[in-house]
Amino acid sequence: MTNNSTVQPLLRIKDIRRRFMLGETAIEALHGVSLDIHASEFLAVWGPSGSGKSTLMNIIGLIDAPTGGEVWFDGQDTQNLKDNAITDFRGKKIGFVFQSFNLVPVLSALENVMLPLQIQGVSEAIARERAAKALVDVDLEKFKSQRPDKLSGGQRQRVAIARALVVEPRLIIADEPTANLDSENSTMIIDLMRQMNRSKGVTFVFTTHDPRLLEHVDRKVLLRDGLIVQDEVAHV
Amino acid sequence: MYKFKLVNTFKLAFRGLSRNRRRSLMTLLTIALGFSAIALFAGYTHNIYSGMSRGVIHGEMLGHLTLSKPGMSKEGKLYPERYLLNADEVNRISELLRSEPHVKLVAPRLAFSGLISNGRASTIFIAEGIEPSALQKIQEGIFTQNEAKRGLYDKMLKKLDPAHTEVVELSSGLAELLHIESQGQAAMLVNTISGQANALDVTLGGTFDTGNAGSNDKYALVSLALAQNLYDAAGHADRLTVLLDGVVQTELMRKRIQTKLHAAGFDLEIKSWNELSSFYNQVHGMFDMIFGFIFLIVLTVVVMSVANSMGMTVIERTREIGTLRSIGLRRAGVVRIFTTEALLLTLIGCATGLLITVLVRYGINVADISYTPPNSVSPTPLLIDLDVRRIVVAFVLMGVVATLAAYLPARRAANKLIIDALGHI
Repeated sequence: MTNNSTVQPLLRIKDIRRRFMLGETAIEALHGVSLDIHASEFLAVWGPSGSGKSTLMNIIGLIDAPTGGEVWFDGQDTQNLKDNAITDFRGKKIGFVFQSFNLVPVLSALENVMLPLQIQGVSEAIARERAAKALVDVDLEKFKSQRPDKLSGGQRQRVAIARALVVEPRLIIADEPTANLDSENSTMIIDLMRQMNRSKGVTFVFTTHDPRLLEHVDRKVLLRDGLIVQDEVAHV
Repeated sequence: MYKFKLVNTFKLAFRGLSRNRRRSLMTLLTIALGFSAIALFAGYTHNIYSGMSRGVIHGEMLGHLTLSKPGMSKEGKLYPERYLLNADEVNRISELLRSEPHVKLVAPRLAFSGLISNGRASTIFIAEGIEPSALQKIQEGIFTQNEAKRGLYDKMLKKLDPAHTEVVELSSGLAELLHIESQGQAAMLVNTISGQANALDVTLGGTFDTGNAGSNDKYALVSLALAQNLYDAAGHADRLTVLLDGVVQTELMRKRIQTKLHAAGFDLEIKSWNELSSFYNQVHGMFDMIFGFIFLIVLTVVVMSVANSMGMTVIERTREIGTLRSIGLRRAGVVRIFTTEALLLTLIGCATGLLITVLVRYGINVADISYTPPNSVSPTPLLIDLDVRRIVVAFVLMGVVATLAAYLPARRAANKLIIDALGHI
């Protein structure tokens, strides 16, 4: 467990269960997971395939609702929020980095980064300025006019990180952000996330299969068969 | 409050069209060709309606409004003395009408029928009595500039000599039937108002085409004075033809004149040119029906094309929808992006269709194509107008229908669970 358990966590999940129906068969992906994540943590959830990592990420990121249990974000119980309210909440407080980058192919790197701001109604000029700054942060200012198909995998993921960072979220969820990258780019992406975590104080939670990447984190949560079996603070 | 600005929705929607260019192009061409088919047919019927209305008002000389005693059209031939307007009535009513705005002409008319003979053979005729000056005035505006230049319908023009009331004009078929040449003599035999037989010698001034095969061997045009002389009804008229300065004034002036005449103590029936021309109404009705049918087919094709295109687009972009929802786009925003995309596709398609219409129209209009319509005696040029009103209606209707066609797949996509959308391959 972390040593700041007395401070109110950024995110608290209590006894989370998630059941999926596969045809007529019910599959329990999470069996009652409880976890506190504090502000500015750099946390990795790891474990074998099918352990429930992505399901847990989806629930933490408020893009999926648990079958049972509670999700408290920034002191607010999220389970009674209506769809529009939870969408707005997510847009402002949570950033996402996906395994397949999920950039909009017809928008340039800059436009992709501007998109979350524009969704929030930020003016074109301000969104452009903030997005350009975010691209500088991920060292991609020279590629701001390029569309995703002209960028390498590592560059696309850096654009995705800039897109997640641009709204200045409290938490960034990255589900297998390095799964589609080679080891050099994987390390670079984790280093970049780590750097953003330290310089901006943004909380990062990511999942990975790769034990080498765990060397970079503050805290490692091992998930197996839908249960947390190990939660340890790493000594980086 | 929804915050994603419309301009950004348009930008995303517009860029979305470039993703699958071939599919967008095929859908766009379907819309463009469909729209063009509608606009060209609308332009063709508009030209027909416009030509026919000019033909009815100026060619058939119905004017815009016809005033007669109530029941004249049904029983006027049986009891002419009861339904004819006398000289005093004709003068007073004409005076009242001439002071009205938009009234260009008030022409007393007298229709009659009888037998016409060349001395060896006789045949029936239907005749119309009108003052020569009124005849000239009522025919003004019968042709468009282009028609006047081409001289295709010159044979439809009629002319009476104000100095020689015995000179008549006969339809070409009637003159041919009687073998009468210009300046040839004939005798007209009619029943007078009191039922007596009356005959007068007339001279053929010229011939004209009625434009209708059914009447082209029966029709005669005489001066009002000759008609009144033959009918033994000096100063009388069976109706008054009113010519206005524009067809759009017809209904307004009908009401105005009705009120004015009623106040002056006249009980008259006023009919508009389109009420009196059953042929115009039949043709209008038939073409409207065909237009509606074509429009419905094109609209169905457009709806199916847009729905199919948008359905495939939504499926292909399911993961992107999940991403947009993840980063804060509301469900309504997703629906707006896809419906805007369909709207843009339709508007661009319609604009392309309009361009095709303008080009095809130009090609047809300069190609000098003509055809002879059923029951017609002369060829008619194939001309296409730009029917702005129906083009705008088609534009709006296609935009609305295409947007609705995109709404269902867009709503289905927006309602998908985000995790399912993100997991879509």
